[in-house]
Amino acid sequence: MNASEVLDVTLLSLRVSLVATLGILVPGVALGYVFARLRFPGRALLKALVSLPMVLPPVATGFLLLVLLSRRSLAGAWLEELLGRNLVLTWWAAAIASAVMSFPLLVLGAEQGFASVPRRIEQVAATLGASPARVFLRVTMPLAARGILYGAVFAFARGLGEFGATTIVAGNLSGRTATLSIAIYDRIESYREAEAVLLSLVSLLVAFAITAAAEVFLRGRATR
Amino acid sequence: MSSFRLRARYPGFALDAEASWEEPCTALFGASGSGKSTVLESLAGLRREVSGEIVLAGRRVDALPPHRRGTGWVPQDAALFPHLCVRGNLEFAARRVHEQRALKDAIAALEIDGLLERRADELSGGERQRVAIARALASRPRVLLLDEPLASIDRPLRARLLPFLERLPERTGVPVFLVTHDPLEVLALAQEVLVIESGRIVQQGAPRSVFASAATFGALPTLGAENRFEVRVVARAAGTLEVETRGGSRLSMVRVEGFPDPEAVAVRGEDVMLAERDPGRVSAQNVFAADVLAVEPLGEQLLVDFAPVGAADERWRVKITPRARAVLSVEPGRRLVLLVKAHAILPCGRD
Repeated sequence: MNASEVLDVTLLSLRVSLVATLGILVPGVALGYVFARLRFPGRALLKALVSLPMVLPPVATGFLLLVLLSRRSLAGAWLEELLGRNLVLTWWAAAIASAVMSFPLLVLGAEQGFASVPRRIEQVAATLGASPARVFLRVTMPLAARGILYGAVFAFARGLGEFGATTIVAGNLSGRTATLSIAIYDRIESYREAEAVLLSLVSLLVAFAITAAAEVFLRGRATR
Repeated sequence: MSSFRLRARYPGFALDAEASWEEPCTALFGASGSGKSTVLESLAGLRREVSGEIVLAGRRVDALPPHRRGTGWVPQDAALFPHLCVRGNLEFAARRVHEQRALKDAIAALEIDGLLERRADELSGGERQRVAIARALASRPRVLLLDEPLASIDRPLRARLLPFLERLPERTGVPVFLVTHDPLEVLALAQEVLVIESGRIVQQGAPRSVFASAATFGALPTLGAENRFEVRVVARAAGTLEVETRGGSRLSMVRVEGFPDPEAVAVRGEDVMLAERDPGRVSAQNVFAADVLAVEPLGEQLLVDFAPVGAADERWRVKITPRARAVLSVEPGRRLVLLVKAHAILPCGRD
């Protein structure tokens, strides 16, 4: 295994996780806002539904996704029609699996971010002549940013480590769908211990870099 | 000319207040829990459950959303935007070109040019209030609504902030409507006062005439006190008087020779001390255990409801700082000891 292979696996992992996080950013933040601010019938049920991927065995989530994305399902057939190909066993499937698994973390972070914004501050902004949209963009969002960012970072990190659901829907196609965690598992299975160690160290490095960067960035925001 | 007619029902409290006023600085005066902040927030459009008519500076506003009412609302805790510096706070309010002049005037009127680059958490309580008022003025409001502008500020600072407030209507041309529980603030600032009690406006007029009877009897300090109990005298000693409340509490108060026995007493919420246990020998004459019923925010301070152990139907409302709350872990259900000096039990007439 040469350096370019390691780099490929790492970049694929980062790409899968990044696409997954970006994909869930808008719906995740919106749902976080809804949970933090609105009381409506069925809220508890919806919250339970959103956090399902956290408690369901990842393999089960992966299998359900596989069924959903396969051309036998209505959604899968429609998606295949739309895109001209099936997503199963592509890196897009890995991204979708990551997105589903990371979604609860992002929603949770965003919800806490919005819940931490005092209503009084928003009310003052309104009495100063700011429209609801301006209050949201200039006051609510900046004050909730910390929670949203935390949610996004952990969603991204969770996506990087995703294994169970990803391996079911994306498989283990070297260079195409094999993310870091899948590649590590593959090397262990085939007794290539040195490569497994190397890839694990790369994972460690990437994970540490992300959490450290987030801490430094958030600290910077807090003291500005 | 401004006026309101407001109605709302809450559990255990009904708001049914009506008044009109014209003076450039008018005060809404009442004790904590009388509904005065609710009135102020209704004027600003922040209380959807309150119905009624509101006219501010000649314009009917009750159908308008908060951002179209032109009210410069300054809540008790100032509520500065924590993510912006002072300048950012002011510019948020004065973003249109024609408001830039209002911004400059506000900075000058409140003398905050030296604070512009500071963050909200780097300001003292008095500075925060001044910035919050300047921010409200920068939005060119038709009326300035101040909620207890001096309540969360230490006494020495109050003396410094008072002159700013006094000159405000004259310097800015914006009429002020302020809420307060302190009669001295009303006398210092307002030309007209509305007295609110249990959600109703019960008196209105020039502060001197409204407070005249109270002032004559030296009862001014008892106006707006959080605690008021009907009492009967049970014992007399040299310099002190023992009274018993209807709820059954025994209190020691100062006896003033030549004055009639009090029919009621008032105690200001900030004059009651709390301790974890009975401190033993102490100069305070009134030491009794009581259970915390509720803790509610009052600007940056807190108002705690107590039920004395021997008089469970009686309510004592005590003002404490957040730090005191942390030190004593004041939470509902906790039993603490209340200490009140005989000098803090103020005689007053029956309502």
